[in-house]
Amino acid sequence: MSEDKKKIKILIAKPGLDGHDRGAKVVAQALKDAGMEVIYSGLHKTIDQIINIAIQEDVDFIGLSIMTGAHIPITEKLMKRLKEKGIEDKKVFVGGVIPQKDIPKLKELGVAGVFPGGTPLRETIEFIKNTAKTA
Amino acid sequence: MEIVEKILNGNEASAAKLISLIEEGKDEGYKAISLLLPYTGGAHRIGITGAPGSGKSTLIDKLATNFSKRGKKIGIIAIDPTSTKTDGALLGDRLRMRDAENIEGIFIRSMAHRGYPGGIAKATIGTIYILEALGKDLLLIESVGIGQTEINISTVCDTLITVFTPDYGDEIQLMKAGMIELGDIIAINKSDMPGASNAQQDIKGHVNTNNNTTWDIPVILTQAQKGDGIEMLIEKAESHFKHLKENNLLEKLRSEKLKKLMLSFLKEEIWAHAMNKWAKKSEFLNIFEMVAKKEIDFYKAVSEASNLIFPDC
Repeated sequence: MSEDKKKIKILIAKPGLDGHDRGAKVVAQALKDAGMEVIYSGLHKTIDQIINIAIQEDVDFIGLSIMTGAHIPITEKLMKRLKEKGIEDKKVFVGGVIPQKDIPKLKELGVAGVFPGGTPLRETIEFIKNTAKTA
Repeated sequence: MEIVEKILNGNEASAAKLISLIEEGKDEGYKAISLLLPYTGGAHRIGITGAPGSGKSTLIDKLATNFSKRGKKIGIIAIDPTSTKTDGALLGDRLRMRDAENIEGIFIRSMAHRGYPGGIAKATIGTIYILEALGKDLLLIESVGIGQTEINISTVCDTLITVFTPDYGDEIQLMKAGMIELGDIIAINKSDMPGASNAQQDIKGHVNTNNNTTWDIPVILTQAQKGDGIEMLIEKAESHFKHLKENNLLEKLRSEKLKKLMLSFLKEEIWAHAMNKWAKKSEFLNIFEMVAKKEIDFYKAVSEASNLIFPDC
């Protein structure tokens, strides 16, 4: 029996019109194998749906997987809604097709970590574990 | 407590937060639950169980959508297994509840069972209380996809729907003790598969020879994907609840079930305490050694280990 303890809970979300979720599923599986509880949103979620899931499931992290090139406006909108709902304590990370030059912009928006396609899974896992510790 | 006030005022985020506190076993969480107790008990608690892949989540999606059209305020608790290897969990039930997810006021919470037995989590009963205090009057509780012996899901609900598919096996499967003994309503889902009406006949015959209550267990064909049979399922669930109330069974069964659930949790607690104390002690470990070397037999070893932990028994 696993004892009662704080488990890291993560929502892996696919916002917008992006139908590619192989990457999201691979990350979800890797985080699960690293001992975390992972909720996968499924495809085509609106920002409000993602916020709603994050609230009901009381996750610690929201991981956005974005392949459409619209990562800046999507992330901007999500960060704004998090603040409006008073849940900006939830950490956000972004993965998918993210050009290097956009990483500083995403960080400026308040994103805690950016993991473009090809990032070793180990790196994402370490980031989450370390960020959870300091939270 | 502020969190209690907020939940009673219908604040979803506070309810979600309290569920986490219960999952983490926090004292402040239990304190809040005790303050919420007077506001609990008002919902019809419907459990849904069945083998993995039988369509439980999709069925819940349709049930929730239709119940919501009837004005019900709905909470869903979807329990998935925790990996025994890594302690992690992929909670994927919600993915199949896309329609329900988009209906304002339906609260869905996924939950890893975290090693608890019986197809539910330790936090499930607490979550039922929290959602009732939040104002939900219909709860749909999805157990871990079960095998043949898990029973705790039946202790947290009033009406249990057991889901089969037409390829469940044959009559011998039904004659074995197991899932079939649990349901108040049987749904044969994916009824477009061959053999559905035969399955319905076989199961119907079987549940009624085994049934010593005053409730006739209905066996309903459903096709959750298309929404077929859902209205019938709802009608039967509602008449089962009415049957419990009219025969003064609701409170009686709830307290009997709570006792069962408590005993099951107590067993877990006692085990956890015992392992804390004994798992690394040499006199305990010696017993395993002796079994491995065939110095004592297995049964004797279990009895000796038990005497060690409970010398007075």
